[in-house]
Amino acid sequence: MGTKSILVDYLARVEGEGALDLQISDGRVTSAQLKIFEPPRFFEAFLRGRGYAEVADIVARICGICPIAYQMGAVHAIENVFGAKVDGQLRALRRLIYCGEWIESHGLHVVMLHAPDFLGFPDGIAMARDHGAMVKNGLAIKKAGNEIMQLLGGREIHPVSVKAGGFHRVPTRAELNALAEKLKHARDLAVGLARWVALFPFPDFEQDYEFVALRHPDEYPFNEGRLVSSRGLDIDIADYDNEFEERHVAHSTALHSVLKRRGAYLVGPLARYALNFDLLPASVQALARDTGLGPVCKNPFRSIVVRAIEIVFAFEEALRIISEYERPSESSVKLEPRAGVGFGCTEAPRGICWHRYELEADGTIKTARIVPPTSQNQPSIEADLKDVATSILDQPDDVIRHRCEQSIRNYDPCISCSTHFLKLSINRS
Amino acid sequence: MTSDDPGKARPTILVAAIGNPDRGDDGVGPLVAQTLSGRLPPGARLIVRAGDLMSLIEDWAGVDALICVDAAASRGMPGRVYRIDLAEEALPPELSFTSSHAFGLAEAIELARVLELAPKQIIVYAIEGACFDTGAPFTPEVLSAAAEVADRIAEEVCHILNAVGAHA
Repeated sequence: MGTKSILVDYLARVEGEGALDLQISDGRVTSAQLKIFEPPRFFEAFLRGRGYAEVADIVARICGICPIAYQMGAVHAIENVFGAKVDGQLRALRRLIYCGEWIESHGLHVVMLHAPDFLGFPDGIAMARDHGAMVKNGLAIKKAGNEIMQLLGGREIHPVSVKAGGFHRVPTRAELNALAEKLKHARDLAVGLARWVALFPFPDFEQDYEFVALRHPDEYPFNEGRLVSSRGLDIDIADYDNEFEERHVAHSTALHSVLKRRGAYLVGPLARYALNFDLLPASVQALARDTGLGPVCKNPFRSIVVRAIEIVFAFEEALRIISEYERPSESSVKLEPRAGVGFGCTEAPRGICWHRYELEADGTIKTARIVPPTSQNQPSIEADLKDVATSILDQPDDVIRHRCEQSIRNYDPCISCSTHFLKLSINRS
Repeated sequence: MTSDDPGKARPTILVAAIGNPDRGDDGVGPLVAQTLSGRLPPGARLIVRAGDLMSLIEDWAGVDALICVDAAASRGMPGRVYRIDLAEEALPPELSFTSSHAFGLAEAIELARVLELAPKQIIVYAIEGACFDTGAPFTPEVLSAAAEVADRIAEEVCHILNAVGAHA
């Protein structure tokens, strides 16, 4: 048996540009490489020499899908340096805007990007011809997320209201009440969405991942917590560098992150859900069980169901926050710049997004490091691809190609973020 | 009856300029919007979009007529202007709109039509670009075309409003 190569030049339905190169030799997958060729964007270098007050607006530009993740990591790290604590209603509003981002990002991915894979459609538009009602519901869910972002962030993409210390403006009670009515309707649509995706045909495929996520004592994590894993890791976010390392690989402009002692790990919905299931509201736990999920899900293809469950959670959390809202007298806490090093780590829709900033005494950025979720998941994506392809090696190339593309979309990768795009090639020999 | 008749709702027109000003000729849509700013009559709204174009479906909810302006991929004639009335012809497949995002203008319009959420009238102006590199300046032919398209859109908006008034 010779060598065979299967190529996907540009992967569709992912954010950014990349390619997959699968090498098959003597009936064995010898290599599966996720090639990210989007050029480096040098955001960490842009930040050097800028004032701390500029950071939230600069990092928001890293991603049009998950700007809140970058803003929240940055502002928490800056407040960490200054010894400031943002709590009460301002802290709650930060969770609320994050709910908006999860709803918007997960809604788009579940309905328009991922569902067509399971139903045999080439894209969301073709799927809409047969499943128009569900696509309309998906758009309505996404719109509800956008409305949270619009109200709290000033606009849906690259919000402008987030700042170190809080917000430039906080909403009125009446504005949030009006929003809540829309969210209740969209939450009901989201429950229907979760039940719909739970019926999709899923490949029988599980991986023994080391899950890594934030863990907070009292709440399903967004902005705060310790970094924990399914294999005993339990560290302060400041100790990230002791346990994790970013490595250059020749085939990708994005760095690969690994656990120094154990290698690949998984961040994102499956990890977050497995490590924090007990912190979901009882109603959301019950819905998860109704959809066939246990407290832990190791099948990456079922991540679409977990995302749908997280959408419902985000609606419930948003409505809880709104019901308890009292407009704070100040939209932000006063900050007193000082020199130091600070850390932030939050749960982006795709997983943990870790930040480290070193500031001068006047708050000028001396150094910045940002580790986005997609670069952390790259080794696990490649491991999945190798195992998925191995399990269907006797199938025609187009079947292998489709399943591999689907495997990558399991991760909802944000390749633009990880480089700060996908092409699949399969080589058989 | 005219469009000013209080018994008849005035039609709404949305002009959507699409593109990324930091990617060379891809910024021609926002440039047209800049030129059109303050020149559109009441009843017409102007928006600029650079991100997720699926959100355009939300932008045009309740709109009677939509005019889009976007950059088109290079086919060797930078600055060439295509005007496509989607009531009369389909978006030609060979006219690929440039978008670095998963959902481009053509996909957003197609999805809205499948879901029966599209405005009754959709006119697309596409300006052929040459260079879409990060930070690149506009190609001179594209710059000239932007001014021409802004004038044509201003006229087209007035024509749509007057036509509705005349037919009403």
